[in-house]
Amino acid sequence: MSSSVIWYLKEFVRAEWLRKFFFAKTAPLETPAHFRGFPQTTENECTHCFACKMICPSPGAIDVLQEGDTWAPRIYLGHCIRCGLCVEACPEDVLTTGRLLEVQKIDQTSYVSAFHVMIDTVLCKRCGNCSVACPVNKEIDPYLAGTGTASSEEVIMRIIRGEMRVIHPEKCTGCKTCEESCPNHAIRVARVVQGVHGPKGPQGALGGGEAPVLEEGGEERS
Amino acid sequence: MSILQDLKNTVRSKSIHVCYVNVGSCNGCDIEILACLAPRYDIEQYGIYVHNNPREADVLLITGAFSPQWEDKLMGLWEKIPEPKVAVAIGNCPISGCVFNREGSYLDPPVRKHIPIAAEIPGCPPRPTEIIQTILTLAPVIFRDYEGGAS
Amino acid sequence: MKRTVDVSLPIGPVHPVFKEPCRIKCETRGEYVLNAEIELGYVKKGIERIMRGRPWQEVMFLAERVCGICSVIHNMVFIEGMELIAETALPDRAAYLRVIVNELDRIQSHVLANYSYCYTIEHETLAMYLLNLRETAMDALERITGARVTCAYIIPGGVRFDLSDADARYLREAVDTIDRELNRFVHMFTTGSLIALRSKEIGILTRDEAIEAHAVGPTARASGIAHDCRLDHPTYRRLDFSPVVYTEGDNYARIMVRFDEIFQSTELIRRCLDRMEPGIIRGGSEVIAGTSRWVGEAPRGELTYQITTDEFGRVTDIGIRTPSIMNIEACVHYMLIGVLSAADVTSTYISSDPCIACNER
Repeated sequence: MSSSVIWYLKEFVRAEWLRKFFFAKTAPLETPAHFRGFPQTTENECTHCFACKMICPSPGAIDVLQEGDTWAPRIYLGHCIRCGLCVEACPEDVLTTGRLLEVQKIDQTSYVSAFHVMIDTVLCKRCGNCSVACPVNKEIDPYLAGTGTASSEEVIMRIIRGEMRVIHPEKCTGCKTCEESCPNHAIRVARVVQGVHGPKGPQGALGGGEAPVLEEGGEERS
Repeated sequence: MSILQDLKNTVRSKSIHVCYVNVGSCNGCDIEILACLAPRYDIEQYGIYVHNNPREADVLLITGAFSPQWEDKLMGLWEKIPEPKVAVAIGNCPISGCVFNREGSYLDPPVRKHIPIAAEIPGCPPRPTEIIQTILTLAPVIFRDYEGGAS
Repeated sequence: MKRTVDVSLPIGPVHPVFKEPCRIKCETRGEYVLNAEIELGYVKKGIERIMRGRPWQEVMFLAERVCGICSVIHNMVFIEGMELIAETALPDRAAYLRVIVNELDRIQSHVLANYSYCYTIEHETLAMYLLNLRETAMDALERITGARVTCAYIIPGGVRFDLSDADARYLREAVDTIDRELNRFVHMFTTGSLIALRSKEIGILTRDEAIEAHAVGPTARASGIAHDCRLDHPTYRRLDFSPVVYTEGDNYARIMVRFDEIFQSTELIRRCLDRMEPGIIRGGSEVIAGTSRWVGEAPRGELTYQITTDEFGRVTDIGIRTPSIMNIEACVHYMLIGVLSAADVTSTYISSDPCIACNER
């Protein structure tokens, strides 16, 4: 007992112990460069292709917003889970995080994606909300409003003779705005993403058009 | 404010006792708080002591997106902490519900609906460096203007 | 027979040694535990319900967040289940990279479990040493995957990032450091008389009880059941190893199984690094409709995913069985009975390495 007390006393008067006790310092608090932090925007110009938004796994984490004439992705802290998929998916390298972009250049990896629009004709009320809400439709035919019956044949979907028709599924960017605007959950967008080797291309390289489009039949309801 | 109260507040901000509670997180944030204890980050060198007892705590770290089991219990826990007290939300879950805030989940985020939150640290999970930095920036401010309050 | 119960002792849901909320109720006479019961459900999130109707790139992140400590294996088992449906051939390099990341994750999880145990038996010195050692594994993990905890590394058909030569060297050094340091700590653990008093012959789970309770993972291997799901995994089978088995079944054996498995993991990482050839890391994989069941060895034991997908690769039905639920049952119904003091209740419970977030989801 007493020997151990003496041992401790001796231990505590050692110069090294005292120095360590009073002047110990840990390494500065810094985040290493290879850590995948919140994505930051680079100088590159955003083409608002929504590739980042469509691959994002977290609800409400990223939006592509228009400021004046330019578009820019915006990350919402508190929603973003820092997975880095948006950085990998962006064809223009608008976003960056950690050393992800450099690694991707070295590895030559990318994602290809395809989208399938499915309308459940049993549930569909033919209200046309989806075709009005669709941001791609809006760009193709700015006059599209009200009932969703546009004159343009170039839109993704519209109401033709009282039936909701998907005309150009290959133009879908997978933003799922239509799903949110549908009052009956009748429209569903399936995003099929694959991680592959090869340089980044414009999104939809897999070709959304070749996919089967389930317009009729309401069997697709997951 | 009396000088005594001033002195008390200064001492309080130099020695912070922390309690953490998991109200439905995935564990990721909890182990990052644990990592703050590691000699690498060594949260105790800043006078922050982590022990899981609400009755001794000043700061309550909350992880997780509020599962229904905690509806009565979190309030009880919050009332057990003596004044002055603050709650800090760690990670995305208490802020927004993270990836769990979807159709079909049992959770009820954000936590700020249930108890007052003083600061939020985004990230899924936040790095230990980010947690420590937030607590260090918070430490001098939270108890500065405390005036005794109702006992 | 009527039992005399002095007091019903509740522990939790917020308790200094519990990292996660749960409540253990012990019926005690004096401090001798007659019976124990566990109350779960504090972190129920309904993840399986959220997963339905979502493609892999969303479910992958949800699967990772079933458990933050063993996130890599959840990701890996889910993705390999999807690959089984799609019949994807995995590039060789990607298969080895998966093993490396998985083993790093196992190292940090086991170190954390042993840290918790040392902390619970109030051996804080060893606990802090171990927690610092864990940072070495976390650094290596962060360097390879870019994130510390939920690293989202494994995708269908491969992995997300390649391992550069500099990183491979860093990883070798890190693994050597872990081996060297851990040798010291294991020596401290095996020779410490206090630790032996608190650990040996406490919380015994015999082989028969382990079989009856369906104990899995290190808990089962500490009771003499030589079962490791990694032996059935195609990549691990090429790396020939044999499971670590102890027969004592007490707290000490469970901790030693984990220590030995860390050495085994470092050896596996070295073998992977030796055998890895340069090559592609992503094959691409188009998921189709189908059903699959895939089993993997999580740090805590056997982890099963049962997945059904539709034609666009969206998960229509998913069932997860995590290892902790069996281990917690084994702990509460067999290990805790006959424990002599309330302090040993918590240490026995922690020694079975429970993960509440896993088994409630």
